[in-house]
Amino acid sequence: MVKVTKTIKIGEEIPVLTKTAYMPIDPQTRNVIHTDDYARDFGMRGALVGGSTLLSYVLEMLYNYFGEKWQYHGKIGVSFIGGGAINGDLLTAHGLVKAIEQEETGTRLKLDVWLENQTQAKILVGEASCIQ
Amino acid sequence: MSEKSGFDAIPIGLEMGPLEMTLDDDTVSARLNLVQWENREPIEKLNVTPPGLTISQHARMKFMALPEMRVSIWAKSEHEFLKPMKKGSKIFIRGRVVDKYTRRGRNYLVSDYETVDEAGDVLLRSRETGIYVE
Repeated sequence: MVKVTKTIKIGEEIPVLTKTAYMPIDPQTRNVIHTDDYARDFGMRGALVGGSTLLSYVLEMLYNYFGEKWQYHGKIGVSFIGGGAINGDLLTAHGLVKAIEQEETGTRLKLDVWLENQTQAKILVGEASCIQ
Repeated sequence: MSEKSGFDAIPIGLEMGPLEMTLDDDTVSARLNLVQWENREPIEKLNVTPPGLTISQHARMKFMALPEMRVSIWAKSEHEFLKPMKKGSKIFIRGRVVDKYTRRGRNYLVSDYETVDEAGDVLLRSRETGIYVE
């Protein structure tokens, strides 16, 4: 796990996290956007990997950086954009420091976060923050 | 006057849940494997779950409360982490529809969720906006 140091500066990126997107396709799923046929009819490339799974890739990157403090002080807000992700997409989570603010409980780091695929298309964008 | 159905009939304030969940070894392992969580040592050492483990349950609660909903696609997702979820503990999630709107021909549903432990302490607060399809 990366240890947070006080030397992080605005404009710096925290360590990225890359994963090959995967979610088992269940033909009996209640949410049929996670099946190939329906998703293609909806204009997607195939069965969409779940939003909570995509979010977890970003959360893991943030947890790796902030450690247990994330569980007490972590905040995140994201939008899902583009065509989402399908199994086999190579996804990389990014976090770029955009502000460092003092709060009563400590110094809060604010980051732009995003998840991009193998074509560098962003599929999730938003903001996250945590007390250091 | 015709009766409202589907999206139009969903009342703001509709309660979802509560959903009770025990964070046992199998549940935690299944989630860690599903999301390919790599660095498991700190989580295991502290006997906690990875952050966000229960977020996938929000969609389940929505499907249980809205039988006419066929598809839910995440549009926005906001979360505030307040306390770790202890492995082996029991948690309760309560959800509520707080808004709905139609934009560019698509229906959107906004829901709030609060996850508490057995002592009633709030662990996670969430607001999610999803595309609603029947």
